[in-house]
Amino acid sequence: MWRGLWTLVSRAARGPHSPRPCTRQGSRYPGPGSGATIFALSSGQGRCGIAVIRTSGPASGHALRSLTAPRDLPPARKACLRLLSDPRSGEPLDRALVLWFPGPQSFTGEDCTEFHVHGGPAVVSGVLQALGSVPGLRPAEAGEFTRRAFAHGKLSLTEVEGLADLIHAETEAQRRQALRQLDGELGDLCRGWAETLTKALAHVEAYIDFSEDDNLEEGVLDQGGSPWGWEVEISGIQRPQVLLLSLSFPPSTADSEVRKLEVALGVHLRDARRGQRLRSGAHVVVAGPPNAGKSSLVNLLSRKPVSIVSPEPGTTRDVLETPVDLAGFPALLSDTAGLREGVGPVEQEGVRRAQKRLEQADLILAVLDATDLASPASCNFLDTVVIPAGAGNPSGNSQRLLLVLNKSDLLPAGCSDPHPDLPSHLLLSCLTGEGLDGLLEALKKELAALCGDPSTGPLLTRSRHQHHLQGCLDALGQYKQARDLALAAEALRVARGHLSRLTGGGGTEEILDIIFRDFCVGK
Amino acid sequence: MFCIRGCGRRVAASLTKQHLASVRFGGDSAAPWTPHFDVVVIGGGHAGTEAAAAAARCGSRTLLLTHRVDTIGQMSCNPSFGGIGKGHLMREVDALDGLCSRICDQSGIHYKVLNRRKGPAVWGLRAQIDRKLYKQNMQKEILNTPRLTIQEGAVEDLILTEPEPEHTGKYRVSGVVLADGSTIYAESVVLTTGTFLRGMIVIGLEMHPAGRLGDQPSIGLAQTLEKLGFVVGRLKTGTPPRIAKESVNFSILNKQTPDNPSIPFSFINQTVWIKPEDQLPCYLTHTNPRVDEIVLENLHLNCHVKETTRGPRYCPSIESKVLRFPNRVHQVWLEPEGMDSDLIYPQGLSVTLPAELQEKMITCIRGLENAKMVQPGYGVQYDYMDPRQISPSLETHLVQRLFFAGQINGTTGYEEAAAQGVIAGINASLRVRHKPPFVISRTEGYIGVLIDDLTTLGTNEPYRMFTSRAEFRLSLRPDNADSRLTFRGYKEAGCVSQQRYERASWMKSSLEEGISMLKSIEFLSTKWKTLIPESSISSGKSLPLRALDVLKYEEVDMELLARAVPEPLKKYTQCRELAERLKIEATRNKGSSAR
Repeated sequence: MWRGLWTLVSRAARGPHSPRPCTRQGSRYPGPGSGATIFALSSGQGRCGIAVIRTSGPASGHALRSLTAPRDLPPARKACLRLLSDPRSGEPLDRALVLWFPGPQSFTGEDCTEFHVHGGPAVVSGVLQALGSVPGLRPAEAGEFTRRAFAHGKLSLTEVEGLADLIHAETEAQRRQALRQLDGELGDLCRGWAETLTKALAHVEAYIDFSEDDNLEEGVLDQGGSPWGWEVEISGIQRPQVLLLSLSFPPSTADSEVRKLEVALGVHLRDARRGQRLRSGAHVVVAGPPNAGKSSLVNLLSRKPVSIVSPEPGTTRDVLETPVDLAGFPALLSDTAGLREGVGPVEQEGVRRAQKRLEQADLILAVLDATDLASPASCNFLDTVVIPAGAGNPSGNSQRLLLVLNKSDLLPAGCSDPHPDLPSHLLLSCLTGEGLDGLLEALKKELAALCGDPSTGPLLTRSRHQHHLQGCLDALGQYKQARDLALAAEALRVARGHLSRLTGGGGTEEILDIIFRDFCVGK
Repeated sequence: MFCIRGCGRRVAASLTKQHLASVRFGGDSAAPWTPHFDVVVIGGGHAGTEAAAAAARCGSRTLLLTHRVDTIGQMSCNPSFGGIGKGHLMREVDALDGLCSRICDQSGIHYKVLNRRKGPAVWGLRAQIDRKLYKQNMQKEILNTPRLTIQEGAVEDLILTEPEPEHTGKYRVSGVVLADGSTIYAESVVLTTGTFLRGMIVIGLEMHPAGRLGDQPSIGLAQTLEKLGFVVGRLKTGTPPRIAKESVNFSILNKQTPDNPSIPFSFINQTVWIKPEDQLPCYLTHTNPRVDEIVLENLHLNCHVKETTRGPRYCPSIESKVLRFPNRVHQVWLEPEGMDSDLIYPQGLSVTLPAELQEKMITCIRGLENAKMVQPGYGVQYDYMDPRQISPSLETHLVQRLFFAGQINGTTGYEEAAAQGVIAGINASLRVRHKPPFVISRTEGYIGVLIDDLTTLGTNEPYRMFTSRAEFRLSLRPDNADSRLTFRGYKEAGCVSQQRYERASWMKSSLEEGISMLKSIEFLSTKWKTLIPESSISSGKSLPLRALDVLKYEEVDMELLARAVPEPLKKYTQCRELAERLKIEATRNKGSSAR
C-alpha cells in the first residue's frame, strides 16, 4: 500500500517543478514578465500588402478564439482563413490568415499565434486594439519575443545575435554570416569548447573533491580516459602515497585538453576582427595627394555625389564617410583631404584627420594621378604611405592597400602599363569608368580577406565574442601557472565562465553530472 | 535540567483525525498547565541537537523532543566526521558556536587533514570518531545547555492557528501533539526528523518500518505534512555491515596512520584530546570479481537496489557500483568504530543483500576471510520534503514558524544536517523575537551554498556538499570561517559566546597586524637568500622584497621567516593557527607576486 502511495507522492513531487532546471541561470532569471501574454506588430510599419501580428504566452489560444469567435482553434501550424472581429463589439476587422503554434514547438517556446492581416494602418491598429482588450494580454516590449525564446532555451545568446544581424543584414555576405550564426554555428563551436573545458574541469574537481575523501576508484579513470596515476594507487598502498602521486598535477588529461583548446582559441582570435568587420563594415579609406581624383572615386564607388569634385587641389578638407555595398561586402568608405604640406590651417587640420584615419583603415585605396607621378606630392605619398604598407608585414598587420592610378584616359593611347617600376597597381579612369570592373574585382578579393568568407566557418561577429575568448585564453594561461590545484581549478572555472557567457548557461550541476557519469565515486 | 515528562491525559484534536478547518487553537486559549516553549525542536540527531543548542544560545527557552534520550548524538552511519566540503561546513558551524566540531575534538580517534597538497581552499579536516565518546560528550553538552529542556516523546501532529497577516503562509504552527495525546505549545517549531518520516528499513527482500535499526518511524507526522500540502518525495540511503574487529587479519592489509600533529576542528581548541601516537590506524582492502559475482547472482533477492527511489550517486552501495561500473576493483576502508569498540566499519561496502549473503560476500575479501559479521548492512527509504518549499531561513513557506532542517530537506551527512540545524535554531529563535532572519549568502559560506542550492534548485538525490559546488571556493576556506561568520553570528543572531567572539577578534587583529608587519619588512633579495638559504629566491638580480612576498614562496613558512628575522616576527609563530593563517593570507595577497 505504501509503495503505491510513494509513487504517487514522488510523482507529485516532481510534477509542478519538472523538468528540473539544469542551470542556475535558468532557474533564477525566468525572463522578465514571463507569464503575461504579449502581442506586437511583427512586420514593418506603414502601408503594405500583408502585416503580421504575433502573440506569445499562455493566453495566446484564448486571444485567437476571442478574435475568431465562434470558430474554434485551427489545427496546429496550419494556415487557416478566419474572419477577425472585435471581441467587445463583435465588429468585423479583417479576413485574415491565422496560425496557431502551441508551445513548446514555437518560436518562443510558449503558445504563439500569428495573424496575417491586410496591411492597412487602420486594420493593423484595429486588430492590435482588439488584442489589447483581451484579458491577460499586453503589448510586447522591444525584443521581448526573442528574449522569451532565449529564456525558454529556444535560442542561445549567439543565435539571438545572429537573428538580430539577419534582420539588419544589408549585404549578401552579411546575410550569409547572420544566417549561419542564427543556425547556431558560433554557439555550437563555443559549446564544443565549453564542453571540453567542463570535462577538464570535472576531472580536476573530481580529483579535488573525491580522490582522498572517497578514494575515487582507479579503474573508472580508464573509462574517463584520464590516467592520472591511480593505477599505481591500487597496486600501491595507502593514502599518503596517493598524495605523492598527486604531485604530478595538473592531471595530464586536463592539461593536454587545455593546451589543445588554447591553440583553437588562438586561431579564432587571430581571425581578429573579420567577423566584426563583416557585421559593421570594413573601413576603406581613400587617400592620396591633392587633386588625384579621390572624391571622384568615392562618388563612383558609392554611385552618388558624396563629395564635391573640382579641378582645384584641396577641395576636400574634412573626412567624408559613406556606407557602401562593395561587391557584396559592407564597407565604410572615407574620402580624405589630399596629403600635402604648407597650406592654410583649415586644410592642414584636414590633412591631420586624413592621416589619423589612414592609421585606422582596414583597407587603403591609394589614389595617384597617372599623369603626375613625378610631382613632389606624389613621390612623397608613395614613399610615406604606399611603400611602407606594401613592404610592411603582409600577414601580421591587417592593413591592406590598393594602389590606383587615376586619369588613365589622359595617358597616351596604346600604353598599357606605363609604370612597371611602381608596386602593383590598377589603372582607372573615374571619368570614363574604364578599369572599374578590375578595381571592383580587386576590392572584392581584399574585402573577402578582411571580412572572412562567412561560408567557410563561424566568425566572431561582435567585440563581446572576442572579449570573452581572450578572457578564456588568459584564464587558461593562469591555469598553467597556478600554484595549487584549487587555483588551477579556479582558472578553469573562469575560462569556462567566459565561454558560457558567450552562449548563456553553465552551472555547477553540469560538472557534477560528468563526475558521476565518469567516475565511481564512493566510500 | 533533564526532564522526562509523563503522559498527558488531554487529547488534542488532531489534523490526522479531523478536518483542518475545524482545528483552531490559539496560544491564549491554552490551559495554564500546558507546557509552553519559545522553540520546540523535534529530533535529537545532528540537526536537532545543533538547532536546539543554537536556539538556547540565542536566548530562547527551548525544548528538544526525541524518541529516546539515550540516542541523542548517535552517529547512525559512518564513524567519521568531516572531509572535503564537509570539513568546511563543520568549521562554519563552529564559527557560529555550534557543537559538532568541539565534540569531535573531544571524541576523535584518528585525525587527518585531506587534500594537504591541493591548496588551503580545499583542505578537508576529517577524523574517525569514537561513536560512544561522541554520544556521551554530546549528551553531556546538550543536557548542560542553559535554557534547554530535553523530553522523550513521539510527535504525531502539529497544532495550527491562523497565519500572521504580515507574513506569507497559510497557517501558523503553535505547538505539537505527542503520541500520548499531550500537547506542547511553542512559538516556533523545528522539524529534524532525519530518515524517520515513513522510514523503511530494507535487508534483502524484507522491509519493515523503522527510522533507524531498532527505532520506530514517524508515520503520523508524515501524513500531517502531506495533508497540509507539502510536496513530498522519497529517497534512499544505506549503511554497510559491521564486522568483529578480532576476526579481521589486519597484518596483510595496508595501514594508514593519522596526522602528527592533529589539527582540531574547532577554532577555540589548540589541540585535540588525544595524542597522535595514541590514535588508531585505518586499513585498506579491495573488492574482487567474486564480490561482483555474488552481487550479480543475487539481484533478485535485493529489492532496495531494484527500487526506483533515488539514492546518492557519490556514496553508492556495492550493488550500484558493480552494476554501474562492472569488472572493477573497489576500495574498502576498514575503520575503527571506537577506542574500545570491537567493531570495524567497512567503508565502501554499503549493501542490502540478505544477511547470509552479506557474510558470504565479506569473507571473499582479502583480510576478511574469517570475518564475523556482527550486524548486517541495510538500506533505508524515507520521505523528504521538497526543499523549494522553505525559505533561506529554513522556515516553510506554507506554515509560519515551522522550520525544517537536515535529511527532511533531502540532504545526507552529519555535517550538512548540523549546518542546517544551526541556521534553523537561530532563525526559529529570531522569529520568536520578531527579528530579521539570519541568512548566509553563497559568497559568505558553504552553509549559504547548501541552503541556496536546496531552496532554489531542490534536489532529487540525497544532497551532499562538495567544494566544487561553491563558486567562491577560494575565499570560503576552512581557515577563515570565523572571520566570515563569527562576528555576524555574535551581532545579528546572538548565538556566539563572548569567549569565542573575543578569540575571533584577537585573531582578526593579529592577522591584520601581522600582515602589515610583513609588508613593512623589506630587504634585497640577495639578503633574503642568505637569511633563508632553503628558499628558492633567485639571487641573480638584487631586488627589494617584502617579507610578505617571501612568505609566498611555497617552501617558506612563518617559522623559517621568524628564524631569519626574529624581531619582530617571532611572536607570530607562537600560535600555530596564526602562523598558518598568515602564510595562507600572504599567498592569497595580490600584488607583486613571488614568481
